[in-house]
Amino acid sequence: MLTADPTADLERSLVEWRRFRERLRISEIHWIDALYSAYLTALFGLIAVGVAAGYIGDTALTPAQLVQVGADGPAWVGGVAAVAVAFGLRSGSRGGPLALERAEVRHVLLAPVDRATALRAPVLRQLRFLTFVAAVVGGIIGFLASDRFPGDTLGWSATGAIAATTALGLAYGAALVASGSRLPRWGASIAGIVLIAAWLAHAVGLAPISPTAPFGHMVLWPLRFEPLGLVPVVVAVVIVGIGVRLLSGTSLEAAERRSSLVGQMRFAATMQELRTVVVLRRQLSMELPRLRPWLRLRVRGSGGLPFVMRGLRGVLRWPAARIARLVLLTVVTGLALRGVWAGTTALIVLAGLAMFVAGLDAVEPLAQEIDHPSRRDSSPRAAADIHLRHLVVGAVVMVVASVLVAVVASVPGPGALPFDVAAALVASIALAGLGGAVISVLGGEVNLAGNWMTTPPEAQGMRIAFRTAWPPGVAVLGAAPVLLARAAVDRGAEALPGAAPGVIGIVVLFGAIALWVRVRDQVASSLKASFEQASAQRTTPVSEDGRS
Amino acid sequence: MTPPPPVLVAEGASKAYADLVALAPLDLTVEAGETVALVGHNGSGKSTFLRLAAGLLDLTDGAITVAGAPAGASDARAAISFLPDEPVLYDDLSVREHMAYVAALHGSRIDDDGIDAIIERVELGHRADDLPSRFSRGLRQKASIALGLVRPFRVLLVDEPFVGLDASGKAAFLDILDELRGSPDHAVLVATHDPNFVERADRCVALHDGEVVHDGPATPDEVLRLVSH
Repeated sequence: MLTADPTADLERSLVEWRRFRERLRISEIHWIDALYSAYLTALFGLIAVGVAAGYIGDTALTPAQLVQVGADGPAWVGGVAAVAVAFGLRSGSRGGPLALERAEVRHVLLAPVDRATALRAPVLRQLRFLTFVAAVVGGIIGFLASDRFPGDTLGWSATGAIAATTALGLAYGAALVASGSRLPRWGASIAGIVLIAAWLAHAVGLAPISPTAPFGHMVLWPLRFEPLGLVPVVVAVVIVGIGVRLLSGTSLEAAERRSSLVGQMRFAATMQELRTVVVLRRQLSMELPRLRPWLRLRVRGSGGLPFVMRGLRGVLRWPAARIARLVLLTVVTGLALRGVWAGTTALIVLAGLAMFVAGLDAVEPLAQEIDHPSRRDSSPRAAADIHLRHLVVGAVVMVVASVLVAVVASVPGPGALPFDVAAALVASIALAGLGGAVISVLGGEVNLAGNWMTTPPEAQGMRIAFRTAWPPGVAVLGAAPVLLARAAVDRGAEALPGAAPGVIGIVVLFGAIALWVRVRDQVASSLKASFEQASAQRTTPVSEDGRS
Repeated sequence: MTPPPPVLVAEGASKAYADLVALAPLDLTVEAGETVALVGHNGSGKSTFLRLAAGLLDLTDGAITVAGAPAGASDARAAISFLPDEPVLYDDLSVREHMAYVAALHGSRIDDDGIDAIIERVELGHRADDLPSRFSRGLRQKASIALGLVRPFRVLLVDEPFVGLDASGKAAFLDILDELRGSPDHAVLVATHDPNFVERADRCVALHDGEVVHDGPATPDEVLRLVSH
């Protein structure tokens, strides 16, 4: 039987073997592949810089605008740090920020090697890479911002780089601390929500200060140097240091779950398989249906409405986390609509995206039919009929969610919508969110096989872009009536009549989507038959007398 | 003379995922020199218990000690060799490189000949320099078995080892388990319904919905009865 050498330096062996694997990996990279990767990175980098330059603009701010930035800027920009820390905490509570190879979890972390030593190298490697990326991105944003703000370009670039690496350090450090201290998921969520709420309260003037305001001061250093801005830099360094010290506390269970799911999620995201990403994300966060439903429905005697009952049973088994997320999304949508009403038009995108995400949860029964087509196809009913019937419960969920949105949007206070407009919006944001999710789920991933293989890359690119943007775009359209109502008020008219055409338009659009759900299979098979017929005619040999 | 302490002790060990109980509080003691078959219907908690003992899962409640150390602690990891039901291997290492790597991570006193002997034993000699990530299920299972044997251990935890193995591979692994059975320092705990192994085991522990319903010798017919609902 084998025995262990008590004098063996296990950690040194680990380092040597990792070097060996790194050499193996590098030796297998072909220089053409490396060159192509560099080319793609440069190309997308240039595109990103161009887009950012267009967004930031190059018109210098007026003195009045500068005064406003100096007064309100630190509070609002502090939101970057709040979101970064909240994101890090959530990631850490789910085993992040590392996503190790599964074999590394099984063979290295289950060996008697010091776990902190085993994890430190991959953590530092990942942190080094992310820091470099953050510094470059932050530096470029600072460089672009220098066109609009007074101060020298170098100062803005350096500040941008420092701010981005600090935000990264806060997120990464928070994740390490949460992971190493095994912070429960609910604890991470509460801490993140409190931090974001404190930032929002400060930003809208309900609180005199927030923990993340010093980050905002740092970002505006080229305008005015505030020593308070040094605080987040120090906190970021300290929190990363604490996180690294806590590495030995990392849960293997979380690490292994993450190692097996994160890779799949990245691949699914690359392939734009949104449904797969949703399912994997639920697995990663252990979002399991409840064994005991919140309310038990009678199993017998409900045969008349099988799809409605199936959908309701699914909803009644939603875990508390999913319900909480839906409520949070409604609050975000409501607040975003208030922002739109107050004049920040861009928040319409946030409102639409939040309802789109809510819609993805609401269409779960339909999505499961798509996940298991053989079960659906074994039913005597037409697939389109089944899909359509599954929309009933989805619509109910979205209407309930939209009522909550309307309440949040119309509660008296800054940016409150008129009650009648908020009530009218229930129909449009519910149906648009549901419609966008239905298109996303039924559309699935973009398939470039078949007839699309013969189309030019530009057409394929356009199709991919459209298929990606269209479903959330529909959800964003649902919030558009707020803009119409705002425009009506601006020209001295009543808000509700102004919003009404938009709401009616969304109801009609949803009707069209429902019709599409009903006939898409028939249309697709008709088109396919036509293509095949045309193809057969082209290839059939013609005889000498002209007859085929 | 006092008997040696048990190598594996579970006291009220349980695991739950939200409201789903994967393993009800379990008490189990395995002595050195014992070979134990862990049986139970699908979802009875066999794999969950093995993963808890290996330190791959966090206990919801209770405690598991391995060679006197809490499951998952460094000393416990040194004492346990876990063969999972699904082999987990690196993409870029050959079988021989896997063996050398795992041996190094455990400070195993084994040379190249010893590694080759284990590889031959599991009938992988002809594929020793190939990448196991490209192997069939059965060959990967053999590679996984070899990895479990290339390092020192006090307790061998094995989860459904015979799935995917051909007849000769299964016979070879049963021979290895027989050899371990004769060792007074080692304990073997295998989750399986295979009658060939159950007959050889000193004890058969049957789980039903996460609870022990039988602990003692059992014939294959009894196992069939125990694993049925």
